[in-house]
Amino acid sequence: MASLQKRALYGLAFGVVWAVAIIVVFIVKGGVSTFSDDQGFRLIIDGLWVGGLIFYGILMLTLRKQSQVDERDRLILGRAPVVQLWAVIFSLVIWTIVLTESYWDQGIPPIFMYLVFMSTLIVSAVAHSIGILIGYWRMGRND
Amino acid sequence: MTKVKNRIRRLRFDHDEMTQQELANRAGCTRQTIIALEQGKYVPSIELAFGIAKAFGVTLEEVFQYEEST
Repeated sequence: MASLQKRALYGLAFGVVWAVAIIVVFIVKGGVSTFSDDQGFRLIIDGLWVGGLIFYGILMLTLRKQSQVDERDRLILGRAPVVQLWAVIFSLVIWTIVLTESYWDQGIPPIFMYLVFMSTLIVSAVAHSIGILIGYWRMGRND
Repeated sequence: MTKVKNRIRRLRFDHDEMTQQELANRAGCTRQTIIALEQGKYVPSIELAFGIAKAFGVTLEEVFQYEEST
């Protein structure tokens, strides 16, 4: 297994745990209303979110500087953003429909701007790993 | 499979059973790319193709052949 492929696998596993952890903490701590009122709660979510993003960045970016990545890996890396783009568009479509239908009469609370942005970055990071793994899978079955 | 065939496995054998890692080091790629090339699942760039030919000390045509479709 190529080094990049391994990192993508670790990145996907971490991304899933990371996303589930944020969702669980968010629900256990009281959801949107508490998030809007409680600064301590917001800081916990901020820590999880930014910390996870930094960890993911270190996991994926440190490899690119090493000689373990060659032209085939870079080709796959270059195609991964296609999956990221579709995942982000899909998540934004879901957010738009859900928020519009839920808050049609009273208007969407501004706090959702933050949640949409946060979830989009998480989706983007996880989709990046998925895009790399799909790239290796497609290249492997090139017959 | 790709239309570009190669003799990398044969050439490694002819060069005292050169390991995939050794060839990768000489050609400037990873061992996984050499595996993909030998399995015909990847077509290298011109630069890497020349690097592989140089690692064996042969011409490009001796390593890679284009298979015309009939």
